[in-house]
Amino acid sequence: MWMLSFVPDALLYAVVISIMFIGIALYVISFFTRFIPPLIPYSGIARILGTILTVVGIYFFGSYSTEMSWRAKVAELEEQIKVSEAKSKETNIQIQKVYVDRVKVVKQTQIVIQEKIKEVEIKIDSECKVAPEAVDILNEAAAGVKK
Amino acid sequence: MKTLLVALTILILTGCTSTPVKRNFPSVPTELMEACPDLKKTEPTEKLSEVLKVVVDNYGQYHECKIKVDTWVEWYKTQKDIFESVK
Repeated sequence: MWMLSFVPDALLYAVVISIMFIGIALYVISFFTRFIPPLIPYSGIARILGTILTVVGIYFFGSYSTEMSWRAKVAELEEQIKVSEAKSKETNIQIQKVYVDRVKVVKQTQIVIQEKIKEVEIKIDSECKVAPEAVDILNEAAAGVKK
Repeated sequence: MKTLLVALTILILTGCTSTPVKRNFPSVPTELMEACPDLKKTEPTEKLSEVLKVVVDNYGQYHECKIKVDTWVEWYKTQKDIFESVK
């Protein structure tokens, strides 16, 4: 079928129908040739050729129908993919927007909290002295497990 | 004989099918592709306020990273639904 995909629909249809009808025509003509003496020797050949062309034509017509149904399915699938890709892009934009907004809120909250620390900095530092071991433990926890 | 061979070859080849439909993997927002940074470490100090600032910064980083993971999960679920809607 892949070879047929290069042939335009109309041309394919014309060829298939032509083969089928030439076959039928030859078969019908072969019955009349017996009444025309010079053509009598060709009567049998015309009938055989007509039969073969009709059978081949019908086979090709079946193939053509299958090919067309596949082409329709491919076109439908391509359309669906086109729609899904557009939807996917749109979703990405929305997700990105929500992400940026949420991160912005976190950053703003951070600024507010850092400002609060600054306000009470003197009070905190005057009432508490951090042991160097505490900082080491904190840093160790922050480092986590490295591969 | 040669004509018959060509005709037979074409007839046999009509049975071959191809799948010309191509699908692209959905793109990911660039922000999500950035790795979460390491947690900040505290400089040696006796001031609790300095330690607190670093801890708060690290909490902030955690929250940003959590949002990133949540967004990845949402992205995957949404894109999967879109992908599976094509049949």
